[in-house]
Amino acid sequence: MPLRVLNLRWAGYVGAVGGTAFITAVLAPFQDRVNSTTVALAFLLVVLFVALFWGSRPALLASVLGMFCFNFFFLPPLYTLTVSHGENWVALIVFFTTALAVGQLSAHAKQRAEEAESRKREVESLYAQLQAAFDRESEAEAIKRSERLKSALLDAVTHDLRTPLTAIKASITTLIDEAREQTAESQPVELDAESRFDMLEVIDQESDRLNRFITDLIDLARIEAGELRLRLRWGAVDEIISTALSRAKSLTTNHHVKIAAEKELPVVRVDANAVSEVVYTLIDNAAKYSPPGSSIIIYARRGPDGMVTMAVEDEGTGIDRDMRERVFDKFFRATRDGDVATHQPSGTGMGLAIAKGIVEAHEGKIWIESGRNGKGARVVFTLPIGDDDGANHGQELLNHE
Amino acid sequence: MVVDDEPQLIRVLRTGLKSRGYDVRGASDGEIGLETFSEWHPDLVITDLAMPNVDGLEFCRRLRAISQVPIIVLSAKGEEKTKVEALDIGADDFVTKPFGIDELLARVRASLRRANAPPISDETQVILDVGDFHVNLESREVKVRGREVHLTPKEFDLLIYFIKHSEKVLTHRTLLAAIWGSNYVEQNEYLRVFVGNLRKKIEPDATPRYIVTEPWIGYRFDPGS
Repeated sequence: MPLRVLNLRWAGYVGAVGGTAFITAVLAPFQDRVNSTTVALAFLLVVLFVALFWGSRPALLASVLGMFCFNFFFLPPLYTLTVSHGENWVALIVFFTTALAVGQLSAHAKQRAEEAESRKREVESLYAQLQAAFDRESEAEAIKRSERLKSALLDAVTHDLRTPLTAIKASITTLIDEAREQTAESQPVELDAESRFDMLEVIDQESDRLNRFITDLIDLARIEAGELRLRLRWGAVDEIISTALSRAKSLTTNHHVKIAAEKELPVVRVDANAVSEVVYTLIDNAAKYSPPGSSIIIYARRGPDGMVTMAVEDEGTGIDRDMRERVFDKFFRATRDGDVATHQPSGTGMGLAIAKGIVEAHEGKIWIESGRNGKGARVVFTLPIGDDDGANHGQELLNHE
Repeated sequence: MVVDDEPQLIRVLRTGLKSRGYDVRGASDGEIGLETFSEWHPDLVITDLAMPNVDGLEFCRRLRAISQVPIIVLSAKGEEKTKVEALDIGADDFVTKPFGIDELLARVRASLRRANAPPISDETQVILDVGDFHVNLESREVKVRGREVHLTPKEFDLLIYFIKHSEKVLTHRTLLAAIWGSNYVEQNEYLRVFVGNLRKKIEPDATPRYIVTEPWIGYRFDPGS
C-alpha cells in the first residue's frame, strides 16, 4: 500500500507541500537560533527527495514553496514576503536556483534510471518470450520427428509384409485363372507343370518369409520390452557355430565358408539357441552382402576378462564407418538407406537389432569392424564365459520365473 | 519387361504373363531396366517404385526421355506421392500391391490397346468417334450415346482432353496444366467443380462410369464400348 500511494500522480505534490511544511514546522520555532544556510539546505533536501521520488514537476513545486517559506518564515523581516538585506536577496536567489537545478537534475537522473530499468525489463520479457517460443518450437519439432520416425517404421513394416503378400497373391490368382480356364472369356491361359510348380514354390517360400518376418517382429518386441528369457546351459562354442552353419547351408552355397576357431576354447554358459541365432543372422548377412564366390570366415577365440570373442567376416563392400552403429537400429537397412550397390534382396532390418538384443542380454557386446586389409565387414561379438554361481544376468532373469 | 528388385515377384509375373502368351524379361533395378530396354525394345514396361540404385521414378523419367512405351507402375498404399510423381512424369497407369494377376492383365491390355490405337491428330481430324462419344471439333457438338449435350468451353476442352487420353490415369496436376495452364496446377477445386458439372451432363447414373475417380491421384476416362 505505501508504495502504491507513492506512485499516485498527486502524491508528488502532496509530498512537496508536506515536506516543505514539515521542515518549516520543525525549524520555525528555532528561527532565531538556526542560520539561513541550514534552513536553505533543509529545504533543498526536501526538493532533492521529492525529485527522486516523484520527478521534476513536484520538485518544481517544492522549490517554489521552499523559496516562499524560506523568505516568509526565516528571512527578516519575518512573516512578510519582502526582503530587507541585499545579501538575503542573494541567498534567496541562490537557494531558488540551486533548488531548481537539484530538482531537475535528480528528476532527470531518476527518469533515466527508470527508463533503463524498463528497457531492461522489456528485453528480459522479450527474451523470455523468445525462449518460450524456441522451447515450443523444439518440442513441436521433436514430436514431428518422432511422428516421422513412426511413419517410417510403419512404412518399413508394411513394405516387408506386403512384398511377400504381393508375390503370393499374384501366384495364387495365376493358378486360379488357370483352374477356371474353360470359363475365362479373355486370353487363353497356358501354364505348364513346371510353371505351376514354380508358382507353388513361390507361395511356399514367401509364406515362410512372412512367417520369419513376423517371428522377428515378435522377438524384437520381446527384446524391447525386456522380456527376452535366456535358457543358460553349459555348451561348446564350436557346436553353436556348427548348428548355425547347418541352418545357413542353403544361404551359403555360393560362398566359401571357413571356420577359424582356437583349439582350446572354453565351454560357455549361454542360451545356445539364441547365440546360434546370432551367428546365423551374421552368416545370412555376410552371404547377402558379399559377391558369390567370396569367402565368409567365422572366428572364435578366448578373449580377456573371462570373455569369448566371436566374429563373422565377409569380403563384400563393407559398411561405412558412420553407419556401423546405425545398422543395429531396428528397421535400418544399409542396402536401401545407405545405397550399397547389390542386387541381392535386402533384409528386414531386424536381424542385427535382434542379434544385439541377444548379445546384450548375455552381457556381451557387439560391433562392426572392417575385414582383413580394410576390405569387407567383420561383425564381432563377445560373450561372458559364465560360472556355476549364476552371476550372469540371464540367470537372474531365469530365477525370476 | 518387368523391373522390380524382388526376384520372387519377377518370377511370378514372368510365369503369369507368359501363360497369357506375353514374352517377358526381368530387370532387378532401373539401370538394368534401361539397358534391357535399349537392346530388347519391349511393347510395355511394368516397374516397381522402391528400388535400389536407379529407383522407379528416375527410371520412368529416363525411359520417357527416350521412348513413348506404355509404363505401368507397381505401387503400395502409402506411396501415393511417389505414384502421382511417376504419373506426372509420364507413367500411364498403376496397380496397387498386392494385386491379382487379372487386374494387372486388364491394365496391360488397356495400355497396349491405347498404344496401338491410331493417334488422334489435332489438325486433320474434325470428328472424334470414341466409344459412346461423338464429338465434332469444329462445330463443338457433343453427342453421348446419340444424345446431344451442351457444354461450356472449359467443359468441352476437358472432355476432349479426356477422350484423347482415354483409359490413361490423369493426375490432377496434368489435367489442370492442360486445361487451365501451368499456373493453376495447385487449384484442385477448379477441377472438382468442372468434373462435377461435366459428369452431370454426360453420366447416365449417379455412379460415374465415364469419368472414374482415382482417389488421391486424379481421374481415368473410360469412353465405353
